[in-house]
Amino acid sequence: MDPLRYLLILAACVAVTLPLELALGARVYRQPRRLLATLLPVLAVFVIWDLIATARGHWWFSTRYTTGGTLAGLPWEEWLFFLVVPLCALLTFEVLGQGSRLRRRAERAGLLRRDRRAEPALVPEEQAAGPDGSPVRQVPPTAGRPTAGSRRGR
Amino acid sequence: MAAEYTIAAVAAPVAVVALELAVLRTGLLRTARYWLTVAISLAFMVPVDGWLTRPDATVVHYAEQQISGVRAPWHIPVEDYGFGLALITLTLLLWQRTRPAAEGEGRDA
Repeated sequence: MDPLRYLLILAACVAVTLPLELALGARVYRQPRRLLATLLPVLAVFVIWDLIATARGHWWFSTRYTTGGTLAGLPWEEWLFFLVVPLCALLTFEVLGQGSRLRRRAERAGLLRRDRRAEPALVPEEQAAGPDGSPVRQVPPTAGRPTAGSRRGR
Repeated sequence: MAAEYTIAAVAAPVAVVALELAVLRTGLLRTARYWLTVAISLAFMVPVDGWLTRPDATVVHYAEQQISGVRAPWHIPVEDYGFGLALITLTLLLWQRTRPAAEGEGRDA
């Protein structure tokens, strides 16, 4: 079991965070292209740091607790580390974003009253008044999303 | 003479923040969601890193002359938190940067 130790630690990280995607609504694995576009630059930067650090003797890896497979001189567990840790952070970040997404969805469905403080841009337009206090424009109360019509096109 | 990992562990988060302020400009660092993600991620990093650095079965060894010598909790070099902060922050910044336009509107992607 010793050679698998580093690998098993990483596997535990993946296993522990998997429910964030499967049960708690995070969409990270389900955006594979975006995930790749995020992880590849991160992997490149930190592998370069790792290569410099190991070359300069800042740290080194146990041969007893790694499988022995290396890529560019680093244990491939170390490469996986730079994928697994960012992945865990992204899953956490996406689950934390669920609250606001669900709230917006409920607002659109009319289940919640829209919090006007959260969308201050709408208020001045609706309350804009001429010098005599009369409304400059008649804005129907349903025109909550001013760009909805223009974005629809046609 | 200087502990190089100590220097790198301070410089890396600073460099990532500079990247955000000068180039990426996602606004992520001003959100509570980012700071909460960092707090949770670093909290979970403690058992993981603690396991990797435990003295009786060390997976990753550090050169004592390249670190400050401050290790907490257990045997985790304090520098690892700077390393982790930079890793997590860069990841979240690039994730925000590649966010589909639709998600910003709160629509179903």
